[in-house]
Amino acid sequence: MMEVAEEPGLREIGCEHSLLSRPDGSATFVQGDTSVLAGVYGPAEIKVSREMHDKATIEVMVRPKVGLPAIQDKNHEQLIRETCESVILGTLHPRTSITIVLQVINDGGSILSCFLNAACMAMMDAGLPMNAMFCGVTCALDDDGQLIIDPNTKDQKESRTVLTFAIESSEKKVLTISSRGAYSPAEVSISLYQSCL
Amino acid sequence: MAAGFKTVEPLEYYRKFLKQNCRPDGRELSEFRTTTINVGSITTADGSALVKLGNCTVMCGIKAEFTNPPIDAPNKGYIVPNVDLTPLCSSRFRPGPPGEEAQVASQFIADVIDNSQIIQKEDLCIAKGKLAWVLHCDLICLDYDGNLLDACVIALVAALRNVRLPSVQISEDTGLAQVQLSSKSPLNILKSPVSTSFAVFDDTYIIVDPTDEEETLATGLLSIVTDEDGKLCTMRKPGGSALSPERLQDCISRAVSRHKEVQTLLDEVLLSVKTQ
Amino acid sequence: MRETPLSNCERTFLLQAITDRKRIDGRQTYDYRNIKITFGTEYGCCIVELGKTRVLGQVSCELVAPKMNRPTEGILFFNLELSPMASPAFEPGRPSELLVKLNRLLERCLRNSKCIDTESLCVQAGEKVWQIRVDLHLLNHEGNIIDAASIAAVAALCHFKRPDVSVQGEEVTVYSPEERDPVPLSMHHMPICVSFAFFQQGTFLLVDPSEREERVMDGLLVIAMNKHREICTIQSSGGIMLLKDQVLRCSKVAGVKVAEITELIQKAIENDKKARKEGGKFGFAESLPEQKITSLKIDKSSVDTSDFKGEAKKIISKSEPPSDAVSKPVVWAPGTAQIGEGIGNAWGELEESEDEDDDADIASVSPESHKVIKKPAKHTSKDIVLSDSEEDDVIILEPESKTEASLPPSVSAEDKDKSPVSKTSTKKKKKRAAR
Repeated sequence: MMEVAEEPGLREIGCEHSLLSRPDGSATFVQGDTSVLAGVYGPAEIKVSREMHDKATIEVMVRPKVGLPAIQDKNHEQLIRETCESVILGTLHPRTSITIVLQVINDGGSILSCFLNAACMAMMDAGLPMNAMFCGVTCALDDDGQLIIDPNTKDQKESRTVLTFAIESSEKKVLTISSRGAYSPAEVSISLYQSCL
Repeated sequence: MAAGFKTVEPLEYYRKFLKQNCRPDGRELSEFRTTTINVGSITTADGSALVKLGNCTVMCGIKAEFTNPPIDAPNKGYIVPNVDLTPLCSSRFRPGPPGEEAQVASQFIADVIDNSQIIQKEDLCIAKGKLAWVLHCDLICLDYDGNLLDACVIALVAALRNVRLPSVQISEDTGLAQVQLSSKSPLNILKSPVSTSFAVFDDTYIIVDPTDEEETLATGLLSIVTDEDGKLCTMRKPGGSALSPERLQDCISRAVSRHKEVQTLLDEVLLSVKTQ
Repeated sequence: MRETPLSNCERTFLLQAITDRKRIDGRQTYDYRNIKITFGTEYGCCIVELGKTRVLGQVSCELVAPKMNRPTEGILFFNLELSPMASPAFEPGRPSELLVKLNRLLERCLRNSKCIDTESLCVQAGEKVWQIRVDLHLLNHEGNIIDAASIAAVAALCHFKRPDVSVQGEEVTVYSPEERDPVPLSMHHMPICVSFAFFQQGTFLLVDPSEREERVMDGLLVIAMNKHREICTIQSSGGIMLLKDQVLRCSKVAGVKVAEITELIQKAIENDKKARKEGGKFGFAESLPEQKITSLKIDKSSVDTSDFKGEAKKIISKSEPPSDAVSKPVVWAPGTAQIGEGIGNAWGELEESEDEDDDADIASVSPESHKVIKKPAKHTSKDIVLSDSEEDDVIILEPESKTEASLPPSVSAEDKDKSPVSKTSTKKKKKRAAR
């Protein structure tokens, strides 16, 4: 499908809002072959044991397509939850729960950034109060330091470094970083600047 | 008075200190707690280390066992890290299967091992496709006082450098492995990654090596793992306060200088064991 | 989160409508909702929409050892998940009663009807067989899960292709899709479930009940049938008594519906095949509606990256370079060393926490006592170790005047530092020190 472009570029992006009837907000986000469906419930009632008196409890569930959630999914869950927590104005809805469910439809690389984008879209669809939007960007660096944005599975495997950032919309600052592989500080800034664009 | 103020308004209490560029425990913003390492703490393990960062204490024990190498990579062994957060170390953890934080920490350590290429997994293979070492790295937190990841990474590296594996020969007649306990050799450790954690307060103050209290009050956390070439192995920032690229670069610089400190510390410790 | 209960007037309204032979969504008694089947880019991946009920199906395969009693048969595994996305009532964790019931029904419908030739999945008798795993995820619950799930399972199985294998002696080679074309599964027939909801003790019946209708129904009859009108499974639940005629009439209706659905699945598969053959676009990205206000698509776009290197250099040059000053670690004993001037730990240290910078008066503590505190194992026999369980602090006392002298100021230091130490405990310590 997608050829490794000479100059870095994004794969085709698609997004659809409110496609599910049951959740309060839902969205699907497609980046090339990667596709994620997100559903948001909330602010809704919560079990007493989990409620927080000063803000909403945010819960993120990542559902893999085959089998049970693995340890990597837990890691993603935490990253996404913390990212969402930093933009949602949870203090407006104390003692409630906000549940974000992310279902992998197809993993064709850059899955974490797709998760983040889908989650953000679904939260907007649900009308949750947020102080900023965020977007996820995955970058890969191959052996000669060439940068690939939004890599597919093949690019991801061949590259030595994969970095995923979440960048918030209001001040273009970094919310979340997750990385794989070794790289120099300069390369980070390069990637960062890329993703800011 | 101060104690009461702290209980009622912990965040305000901290802000007052941070404005003066210091912390309630007397440290400066970019100052680490005392780091203490003890290697070879467990005699029954093949390699072990105890690391204390202030109060935060992590014990790492490494047990080597035989296993069959994976089918898709017959010339490799395994490293299996596992972080245990027992009710012993903090009241926030419940007994039972590992909670989210423990799983995330385990994944982080696994990522660090993979990314930094600390060991060539080929070195753990004894006979191609037949026999390989599996290193079970158990990291147990004894006292949870913030900055768990830094302590875990130091403990892991120290313990790995402490590992002594017996030499194994496969006899040609029987095909069975023969272990020679008399000759033990260390692992070939290629890199020594060091993690440096930061906490962000109110989007403005960045402090290093947060304690548990600081972690709960902070608005954002960041961990940077560097190796001796000044390369970054893993960066992890789970949400929280947004940072500009410039601030991030400052953090990376601090991580690089911290790496040098810990590196000399590790070298000294291991040297002291050898010369004994 | 609990499901919002149905109000009484809603219930009576629904039942009244059904007695008047009307349905709230405007369908006739025997009408199905619209069925839409879309396939993903991978083989064996599909989404089935039955009205607003949505199920994602994914088939995967793996080489495993066969079961002891069936050495020449492949293994089929079905798993339906009720994702918390589908309804707020579904919680992750322990499988609910409904989930167990649905999974068993699905297994009976698909495995026990022998719709897949399991013997063709054998690679090496007694050694290696294919395990086919069908994962179904309910994404949106608007009633009639079982029908949607069975359609999704059958469609995904029809669409799926496993990698080709060859056996030479003992060696099994699995070919990648590039080397050899993957092979489809051999399907004998396509069993599909049709649900009938009964109301008012079986007087009224509806095909394909929606979620609202399911809530007020008295009983449910599920018939799994293939297009040859062979019944694969039949299950009646809810405790209603059905007459022979009713069951026969239902099976006739089921026959018609199954023929329609089977045709639809085959058509969808054909379409997908054609699209793949022509090298056209396929997959979920293509199934996004084009002309809809809620959806948006951007084609492949390039990002201008000409100026990033300069910008990155600017950032790096602005920041301070890492300091080269490295503090010398202190080796206390072979195997134990320490670094840093920050606060030490509150474990083994007495109130004379010498690592605290703010206590200038404590800085004079000699390194000898320092050592003792850091490493209790190095104590001389003179040392007394007392532990105060109430405070989780280990108190080490040296019967030397030097230590005693440095006690009072550091007690105050602790008062300031940690959560307040109550007066009584301070007294206790002093008492102990006196002893």
